[in-house]
Amino acid sequence: MTGAWQVRSIWFWLSIAVVVILAVFLLYPLVNVLASSFGGARAEGRSGWQVLLVEPRYLKAVANTVTLGLIVTLTCTLVGVPLAYIAARHSFPGKVLIAILPLTTLIVPEVIAAQTWLMMLGNNGLLTRTLAGWGIALPSFYGWFGLITVMTFIYYTYVYIGTLAAIRGFDVQLEEAARSLGTSPARSRWQVMVPVVLPSILASALLVFTLVVGNFAVATILGHKVDLLSVITYQTFVSEVGADPVMQSTLASVSIGIVAVVLFIQRFVLARGRFEITLGRGARPEPLRGASAWALALAAGFVVVISLLPLVTVMAGAFTRARGPVMRWGEWTTANLERVLINAPDPILNTLLFAGIATVASLIFSTGVSYLIVKKRSALTPVIDYLSSLPLALSGTVIGIGLVMSFNTGWLALTGTSAIIVLAYLIRRLPFGIRNASSTLYNVPNSIEEASISLGVPPGRSFLKVVLPLMIPSVAAAGVLVWTTTVAELSASVVVYSGGRETLPIQIFRLIDSGLMAQASAYGIVLVAIILIPIIVATTVFKLDIFGAR
Amino acid sequence: MATISIADLAVSYSGNRVIDGLDLQIAAGSFYTLLGPSGCGKTTLLRTLAGFLPVERGRIRFGDRDVTALPAHRRDIGMVFQDYALFPDKTVYDNVAYGLRARAQDEATIRLRVGEYLDRVGLGGLAARHPAALSGGQRQRVALARALVIQPQVLLMDEPLSNLDAKLRVQVRETIADLQREAGITTVFVTHDQEEALALSDRIGLMRQGRIEQNASPQDIYRLPASAYVADFVGAANVLAVEAVTPDAAGDGVTVTLAGRRIIARVPRRLSGGAVLLIARPEDLRLARCGATANAVSGAIVRKQYLGGRTSYRVRCAADGAGIAGPDVMVELHGAGHNDWDEGAAVDVLFDPQASIVTAS
Repeated sequence: MTGAWQVRSIWFWLSIAVVVILAVFLLYPLVNVLASSFGGARAEGRSGWQVLLVEPRYLKAVANTVTLGLIVTLTCTLVGVPLAYIAARHSFPGKVLIAILPLTTLIVPEVIAAQTWLMMLGNNGLLTRTLAGWGIALPSFYGWFGLITVMTFIYYTYVYIGTLAAIRGFDVQLEEAARSLGTSPARSRWQVMVPVVLPSILASALLVFTLVVGNFAVATILGHKVDLLSVITYQTFVSEVGADPVMQSTLASVSIGIVAVVLFIQRFVLARGRFEITLGRGARPEPLRGASAWALALAAGFVVVISLLPLVTVMAGAFTRARGPVMRWGEWTTANLERVLINAPDPILNTLLFAGIATVASLIFSTGVSYLIVKKRSALTPVIDYLSSLPLALSGTVIGIGLVMSFNTGWLALTGTSAIIVLAYLIRRLPFGIRNASSTLYNVPNSIEEASISLGVPPGRSFLKVVLPLMIPSVAAAGVLVWTTTVAELSASVVVYSGGRETLPIQIFRLIDSGLMAQASAYGIVLVAIILIPIIVATTVFKLDIFGAR
Repeated sequence: MATISIADLAVSYSGNRVIDGLDLQIAAGSFYTLLGPSGCGKTTLLRTLAGFLPVERGRIRFGDRDVTALPAHRRDIGMVFQDYALFPDKTVYDNVAYGLRARAQDEATIRLRVGEYLDRVGLGGLAARHPAALSGGQRQRVALARALVIQPQVLLMDEPLSNLDAKLRVQVRETIADLQREAGITTVFVTHDQEEALALSDRIGLMRQGRIEQNASPQDIYRLPASAYVADFVGAANVLAVEAVTPDAAGDGVTVTLAGRRIIARVPRRLSGGAVLLIARPEDLRLARCGATANAVSGAIVRKQYLGGRTSYRVRCAADGAGIAGPDVMVELHGAGHNDWDEGAAVDVLFDPQASIVTAS
C-alpha cells in the first residue's frame, strides 16, 4: 500500500521504456537471425544447419575463423604482455613513445590499417616492389600472412592496455612480502604477480579472439584466398544472384555461437581468478642502462613505429599522384584531396550527419540507462544490464543483418533509409557509451542524491541538479569515444546502407576494392582528422581523461 | 519541533523483514539515539523515518502529520550522512543554500541565513571553498549547517561522526550537542558508538535484531541495563550466571550465590524465577586481601594489565563446595594504589550491593 509511490516512480516507467526499446531494436533482430537459421527456405527444404554441415566451404570457413582467432590471440599476447611489463616496470630511453600506443587503435580505423598495409606489402605495394627489385620475393599478403600480421598489430593494444592496468594495479608490497620470505626477486614476481595479473591477461586475450571472429574490414580486404565466417556471411547477404536469408542467418548464428562460447569461458576464468586486489602501491619503474636498455628501447620502438605506420602511409598516399590503381610514389599532388573535399564530399557529410545524430542519441540514452543500472536498481535492472551489454557479443555484420531482416517491411520499414544506419551505429556502440557514462556514477555516493531529496528537492530534479553535473565529464569523455568509434564503423553500416548513403569507411572500403588507393587515402586522412580533432580538443582544451574512462 | 510516533512499523530491506512491529515515541525537541551493532536495523529505521525506504505496515507521525506515505522531499527533515554527502561541484555556500533555494527563499534571506549558520558551525570564512578543500571535520560541519539551516521539523543523523578521527569526533560531537540544544529540533541519531550515545542523548534506544531492547535515559541504560545484552553492549560488564536464593519481598534486593558465596544485589525488574544473571561493571568491583569479607567472592589474579590511569585485573574465582570451577571476573581499579596488586595474589572481589544488579537470563 504505502510502497506504491515507489513502484510507480518515474524510474520504474523509464526502466520499462528502456527494456521495450532494447527488446524491439536489439533482441527482436537477434531472435530473427537465430530463428530463421532453422527455416527451410531453400528449394530442397533443408534447414541452414543441415546445409552448413554438408557444404565443405562453410565448414572450412568456421575452421579458418577459429584458427585465425587462436593464432592472432597468441601473437597479440606475445607482443602485448612483454610490452606492458616493460612499460610498467622499467624506464628506458624513448619510453614516452609507448604512451601513445593506446591511441593508435582508436585513431586508425581498421579499414585504413588494412589499406595501408596493402599499400606497403600488397601485390603493388611499395615494399613488395622495392624488395622484388632486389630479388627478394615476399609471400602473398592476401591470405594468412596478411591477416595475421595486420590483425596482430591492430589488436595487440587491447592485451597491452589490459595487462598494463593489471600490473600497475598490482601492489608491489606483495612482491616485497614474498622477497622478505626468502624468494629471489624474479621468483617472487613469478609466484606472486603472475597469478594476480593472469586473469586480466586472459580476459583481454579472449576479447581479442572475439574481435578477430567479428572482424570484417581486414578479413574482407586481405582474406581473398581464405574463407572466413564474417566474409562469407556478408557475401551470402549481398550476393545479387543467390542472396540466401537462411544461410546468412545460419552463418551469423555460428559466429554468435563462437563468441558466446568464448564469453562463457571468460566468465568462468574471471569467476575463478577473481582475487581481492587491494589497490596498493604500484611499483616504481626501474631504470635500465646499457645494452639491455637499448635493446628494449629498440624492440618497443619497433612496435610503436609499426603501429604508427598506417598513419604515415595514409598521409603519404593521400598526397601521392596516382593513375588508376598505380601509385606514383615520390610525385606529390593535392588533387586527391581536392577531389574528395570538393567534388565528392558526400561520404564526409554523411558520416558527420549519421555519426553526429547517433552520438547525441547514444549519450542521452546511455546516460539514462547507466543511471538506471547503477542508481535505481529494480527487478528490471539485470534485464537492462544484460540486454545493453549484448552488442559486445555481436559482430557488426550480425547486427546489420538482424536489423535489415527485422525492419525490411511491416510497421517499421527502415531498410534503405538513413535511420537504419544511425540505428546500427547506436546499437553497436551502446555498451561503449553505457560503460563510460556509468564509470563515474559508481563513485557518486547515493547519499548525495538523498541529501538533495532530504532538503526538499523531488527525486527527478535532484538527479538533474546534483547527479547530472557530476556526470558531465564522463559523459563528455564517453561522447568523444562513441564519436571516434562510430565514424570508423564499417561492418554493420556496410550491411544496412543503401546507395547515396555511403559513409567514409564504406567509401574507403569500396575504393580499396577497386584498387584506388590514393583516393582511399584522401578519404582516410579526412576520417583520421574527424577522429583526432575531438580527441585533441577534449584532452587539451577540456582536460578530459578519455583513456582513464576506457 | 515535533513528537515522532512510530506504531507497529514493519520494514523490509532486500527481501528481509528487518523491522517487524516496532512501536516508539520520541519526545518533541529531544535528542534520541538509536544505538546498536551493525545489522541491528538502526539505519533501516532512520532511513524509513527519512522516507528513503518504503513502509510495509504501520504508521509514522511527525507531530500531527502522518508522514507514512509522504515522499522524502516533502517530509521536512534535515539529514546528516555518514559520508557527509556534500555536493562536490558546489561551494560551501551553495551547499548550505541548497535547501533554502529549494524552498524558493529570496537571495537576501538566503545570504543572511547561510552566513548565520556557517558562523554557528565555526566556518564563517570558508563559504567560497569547495568540499574537496575541507578537512573531514569541516565537511561534517558544513553538512550539519546544511541540514539545520532549513529549520526542519526533524533532524536525522546517520553515524555522522564515524568517519572522523577520535579528536575531531569529540569536537564535532560538542558542536552537534550545542546546535541541537539551541534549535530544539527533535533529533534521531544513529550510532554504534556507546560513548557518543551516552554523551549526547536525552534517551537511548538500544536496538537488537530490529527490536528496541531497552528505551531509557543514558544513566538507566548504563546503570540499570534491562538485559545482559544491553550491559555487555554499553560499557564492559561481568555477566555471571548465578542462582537466586532469597527473593527479597520487601525491598528491591536479592541474595544470590556465586562460587559458593552469598552476594546481595539489586533487582530493578521483577524476576520470574529460575536461573538469573548477576551483572556488575568492572569499575564497581573492589579487591581486598583474602579473608571472610562480606558480599565478596575469593579468587586469584590470573592476569593484570596496567592502563595508565587505571589497572585491569582478571580474577579467577575459587571453586565452590561442589568443586565446579568459578568464573573469571574482570575488576578495574582507579585511584591511589590501583596498580598495587600482583598476578597470582589471592584476593577477595567485593561486590557493591547498589551497583550490582540481577536480571532474568
